Amino acid sequence: MLKKISTILNEIKVFDPKSKQELEVFRIKYLSKSGELNKLFTEFKKIPNEEKKIAGQALNNLKEQLNLITNNAYNFGSDKKDLADDFTKPISLNNLGSRHPLSIVKNEIVEIFNKIGFSISEGPEIEDDWHNFSALNLPEEHPARDMQDTFFIQTNPDTLLRTHTSPVQIRHMEQNQPPIRTISPGRVYRNEAISSRAHCIFHQVEGLYIDKSVSFADLKQTLLYFAKEIFGEKTKIRLRPSYFPFTEPSAEVDVSCNICSSKGCNVCKYTGYLEILGCGMVDPNVLDNCGIDSKKYTGFAFGMGIERIAMLKYQVDDLRLFYENDIRFLKQFSNSI
Amino acid sequence: MKISNNWLQQYLKIDLSIDKISILLTDIGLEVEGVHHHENIRGGLNGIKIGQVLTKSKHPDADKLNVTTVDIGEKECLQIVCGAPNIDIGQKVPVATIGTLLYSGEESFKIKKSKIRGVLSFGMICSEKELGLGKSHEGIMILDQNAKVGISGAEFFEIESDTIFDIGLTPNRSDAMSHIGVARDLKAVLNYQGANLNICIPSVADFNIDNNLSDINVEILDETLCPRYSGISINDLKVEESPKWLRNRLLSIGVNPINNIVDITNYVLHETGQPLHAFDKEKILGNNIQIKTAIKGDLFITLDDIERKLDANDLMICNSKAPMCIAGVFGGKDSGVSSSTKNIFLESAYFNPVSIRKSSKRHNLNTDASFRYERGSDPNITVYALKRAALLIKEVCGGNISSNIIDLYPKKIEGCCVKLNYSSVDKLVGEVICRDVIKNIIINLEIIITDETKDYLDLIIPSYRVDVNREVDVIEEILRIYGFNNIKIPLKLNSSIITNLNIDSHRYKNLISELLSSNGYYEIMNNSLTKESYNNLIKEFNSNNDINIINPLSNDLSVLRRSAVFSGLETIKYNINRNNTNLKLYEFGKTYFKNDDLNIENEFLSIFISGNQFLENWNSDNAIADFYFLKEKVDHILNRLALNKFKSNNINSSIFQNGLEYKIKKQTIVSFGNVNSSILNHFNIKSSVLYAEFNWDLILELISSKNIKYKPVTKFPVVRRDLALVVNKEIQFSQFEKIAKSLNNNLLQKINLFDVYEGDKLGDNKKSYAISFILSDSSKTLNDKTIESVMSKLLNLFKQELGAVIRS
Repeated sequence: MLKKISTILNEIKVFDPKSKQELEVFRIKYLSKSGELNKLFTEFKKIPNEEKKIAGQALNNLKEQLNLITNNAYNFGSDKKDLADDFTKPISLNNLGSRHPLSIVKNEIVEIFNKIGFSISEGPEIEDDWHNFSALNLPEEHPARDMQDTFFIQTNPDTLLRTHTSPVQIRHMEQNQPPIRTISPGRVYRNEAISSRAHCIFHQVEGLYIDKSVSFADLKQTLLYFAKEIFGEKTKIRLRPSYFPFTEPSAEVDVSCNICSSKGCNVCKYTGYLEILGCGMVDPNVLDNCGIDSKKYTGFAFGMGIERIAMLKYQVDDLRLFYENDIRFLKQFSNSI
Repeated sequence: MKISNNWLQQYLKIDLSIDKISILLTDIGLEVEGVHHHENIRGGLNGIKIGQVLTKSKHPDADKLNVTTVDIGEKECLQIVCGAPNIDIGQKVPVATIGTLLYSGEESFKIKKSKIRGVLSFGMICSEKELGLGKSHEGIMILDQNAKVGISGAEFFEIESDTIFDIGLTPNRSDAMSHIGVARDLKAVLNYQGANLNICIPSVADFNIDNNLSDINVEILDETLCPRYSGISINDLKVEESPKWLRNRLLSIGVNPINNIVDITNYVLHETGQPLHAFDKEKILGNNIQIKTAIKGDLFITLDDIERKLDANDLMICNSKAPMCIAGVFGGKDSGVSSSTKNIFLESAYFNPVSIRKSSKRHNLNTDASFRYERGSDPNITVYALKRAALLIKEVCGGNISSNIIDLYPKKIEGCCVKLNYSSVDKLVGEVICRDVIKNIIINLEIIITDETKDYLDLIIPSYRVDVNREVDVIEEILRIYGFNNIKIPLKLNSSIITNLNIDSHRYKNLISELLSSNGYYEIMNNSLTKESYNNLIKEFNSNNDINIINPLSNDLSVLRRSAVFSGLETIKYNINRNNTNLKLYEFGKTYFKNDDLNIENEFLSIFISGNQFLENWNSDNAIADFYFLKEKVDHILNRLALNKFKSNNINSSIFQNGLEYKIKKQTIVSFGNVNSSILNHFNIKSSVLYAEFNWDLILELISSKNIKYKPVTKFPVVRRDLALVVNKEIQFSQFEKIAKSLNNNLLQKINLFDVYEGDKLGDNKKSYAISFILSDSSKTLNDKTIESVMSKLLNLFKQELGAVIRS
């Protein structure tokens, strides 16, 4: 038996298949049901017990060798072309899904502010008049209420769908004393006809920092940091005076267009700049409304639309795409890093 | 708001390019949203030249056509074929040269070199209508013999070319709602930057009363709502079309001319910001004007012919018998100026902004007047505006000023007093602005300094700046002119330490999102607003719990979603319609419902699967995703969050055809299974859809950041024993698990179902479960006896309790 084994070992040592057929012949000869190996195993059962240990080891060794040779021939046969499998056959990326672009951008924004010590606060989407308007220095019959078309759930007293995430800041200020340093991401609603530029729902991230001696210069610094983090190191910012009832002074912030490097393109409407957020120093009335001493504390606030940033980042030109959930659209964000 | 550059320059001569002016306006908070060119004739008569007909001869091939040569002041005369019957030699005519665009309504027509019946023609001699100058199309326009050949049409017809700034005015800036207002702000910034400009406000020094024939008596009955009322009578005027300059001014900013009186009130409104209203004096019954609130329920027909029901809070301008005008909002149909009006009474008032806004909202009337009044007009400008308008009326419409100026102003509204501490400026700005710079800005803004020390300034704010009444407002003014972009950015971060960043829920959401997205799932986002009718599909939903929108955009978006399933199915349908049939989706969001008066928002995680498990490929068998494919993901998620101790039950919900729900502490943490076919039918989805709905709020509540504690890995061999058991089909695997668990044997590590067989050999109601049992002991090698003892206990229990039989 041992002799047979060593003969076979010598035979197979020089085996060098040139084709698949040769390999198959080899496999049938040694490894098939009626092949040499199985014959040896049948024989093995009959030999005396005292010989079994050595014979068994030899037999196992032979089995290993045979398997090794055939496996290698299959797997490493690439230098013998006709032997190799077609490794270019495609596999499918079954496990490559995607986050929604708005989640990707939201996470990016949250991370940027987390890094400089902003906490996260969240609040309800169904709000009352106080938190959405009045506490924000927007008393009833204030013309600035026209700036935000509101969906109402109930009137007198009013219950509504929040038109911005600012009520989260009011709630946060009502429950906490300074220092306050928080961002509030969330979904908001406006009663606006749905088009490529407007939607009845969208998402905002607002930020708030209140403490002793927080200044307009600090606000500018935070915004410049943010703009550079999200649009690249070379990004510049530009502020324009504006008006929000809850901040004084108020500003709109433009960033230099990173698509055309401020040379002018159709995305920035040939201005070289893109409007991305609103900001300002928290109006003393708002602080007082929330039980924070406006003589002692100052603060800044800012807010931006996540859709707006996503549209600029990915050059999406129709807002509706974000809520259509077309797989062909979502797939394009599979490899966002 | 539209501001005409030409008009603006009447008050402030600025020698700057349009771009520079735009930037300047934007920098001081009057954002220029657009700039456009305006001509009072479409196309501005570009390409039109004045020419003279030199020769005329009959066209060889057409009776009605003439071939002419026309001198347009260039080296060579043009040969033009013309069909007009009135053309003759020597005439001065307007010629459209090659390339000229002529407009007819929205259409335009380009003049090209052409061949008319074999004769070349190099332009066109135009009619009045073709130029857009009039309606006549009888023949070509024949100009005065003095017309100079070769000059442009624009020059000859005095076409005014203007630039219009579209300013996105913020609601606080009522001071800049006029051309003078904008000029005033521009002057402030330009003078701060070193210019030395003055505003040229039209003089009213010539104002004189012609006679005192009019005896209108005015009475304010509500001084809170009407703090000031000024007026004047003008007799014997003539209502007609306004002169060209006035019409052009109004047209340039998009205001339609009506008649000279109305046009002048509009002109003064856009010049000064002060709304004026002209009454036909004959309609002021009793020669008496009363300013008082309306009687609730009274009917009043406004200028637009709409009958409106008045509210007790509407402030009205009334005569002895009836209301004539909703104060500051809209005039009445009966009292306005008409073509037969001879005498007028002109009103210039100051009304309470909130009252105006309420009336304007109540009647859904947004007029140029209400727009200004509700934002706050200047109470101290009424008389100036009145004089200015009266002088213009005399000039344009004739007539005599027939009364003194009536001016009821019981309590003068003074400019606001503000103390400005320099330290407050430094603190808010974050850098020290030189005191002289601050003072310079304040002076240029026409804010009066009444007192000053090295620490502060006492100020009186002009009454037109209704938005400036606190120290912080003045600081804003200073910054606005100083330039937001001139504030330096500090190099070091000012950040207070916040100890609880509260990022856990954000982190968990990302953890599970990444898990799903790394397993081939796509994150979707759907509208929270949806169709009310969807809720009827689920019998467990009582419509009393729906949260409806009072003012929805449409019936399709009239209620807040109560389940994630509807919008998810819409997404599936949308994609199937676009030939994307293999879908694995998930969404994080909220559902909403009402419980008595409480509005409740719940966070969910939903998963949707439809179609095949994997993409089509030679390497996979491409099976349709079934319940267990979803179950694997559900268990994966819960295990990832260490929430693996739950009870599972068959589901009983009309959302699902069948499925499971997992409960922890009697609360459902997830329901999942096949969506009910009746719901799928409603969405016209033919394939099956798997759906899981996690209660994410509960998950957040249950997650505990338990520390993981290492357990030593056993050094002793692990033993596996298999049992193939035949049981009735209704027996569930969870019953085997429960029994195994009840044994409370710490050697038994794990039980698993590794094969299921059903077939004829077993009998109709039978199935075979091949179950593996993993046993190990952390302190020694297990011997056969111990193993057999555990296994036989298990087997006995399976036999007794489940009627299990070992498969032969």
